[in-house]
Amino acid sequence: MQTRITKIPKDRPELIEIQCHTVSDEVREIVAFVKSRQGQLSCMADEKMYEIAVSDILYIETVDNKSFVYTQGNEYETKQKLYELEEMLKEKRFLRISKSMLLNLMKVSSIKPALNSRFMAELISGEQVVITRKYVADLKKALKGEKAQ
Amino acid sequence: MTLKEFILSRVQVFFVLVTLILFGSAILGGIYAPEQELHYHHLFSPIIIAAACILPTCVTYYKKEPTPVQYIIRQIIELILIEAVVMFLVQAPPKYSGNEIRFYLILGIMIFIIYVFVEVMTWLQKSRQAKQLTQQLQVFLVKE
Repeated sequence: MQTRITKIPKDRPELIEIQCHTVSDEVREIVAFVKSRQGQLSCMADEKMYEIAVSDILYIETVDNKSFVYTQGNEYETKQKLYELEEMLKEKRFLRISKSMLLNLMKVSSIKPALNSRFMAELISGEQVVITRKYVADLKKALKGEKAQ
Repeated sequence: MTLKEFILSRVQVFFVLVTLILFGSAILGGIYAPEQELHYHHLFSPIIIAAACILPTCVTYYKKEPTPVQYIIRQIIELILIEAVVMFLVQAPPKYSGNEIRFYLILGIMIFIIYVFVEVMTWLQKSRQAKQLTQQLQVFLVKE
């Protein structure tokens, strides 16, 4: 696939156009990346597509190799893998807190101790999610404004 | 937790235990049996006891995060095994002759108290750490 960047005058709206033979997974990945940069994520619920504002997401979880996006009161499915979402959303204050979960730090109200060297993050929705021992160090770094490993 | 991380943490605990057993033996021995003479082979005792106490802690190793119930069961098994190992290694002193059950009962209760004390201290330390993280989080949210 070739790429072309054209500078346009300020009065014209910016546009990213993809010309392709088929809408492959690769193309969808590029679209998802662009949308995430703009603060949106394409998700599905009840066989309908939704554009979810990244700022509304509480956490993203992988169950049986499927990624689920949770907002206050709603649950959506997304085609992207957790590691792709982690890469896409790291600038949006999302942090990996376990092997299967990405947490939006902006939605955490407090952190509590839990059994087995783990911590529990209480969200503004009242839900609680587990921060596993392996990712506690990354959380500390993220809160100090340092980049996680 | 990887096996390597677990083994490294056990090695650290082993050396801490050796030091503490040596320290405790020197103080208690100096108070209760100052006339006792030790031989070179007695220097192996702290190493042997520490190694024996480390073995039961292997039940807490996990590859997959255990659930809270699994975690509690493992802790109970660990405590029982530590009790068994210490009771096997420690002999009742002559003054408890004929009354060994009482000695081992007291020893068992002491190990239990120390174990619970360590767990409570660990929990308090974690609570303090969680409080600190919450404060850092609030600063982080304000900045954002």
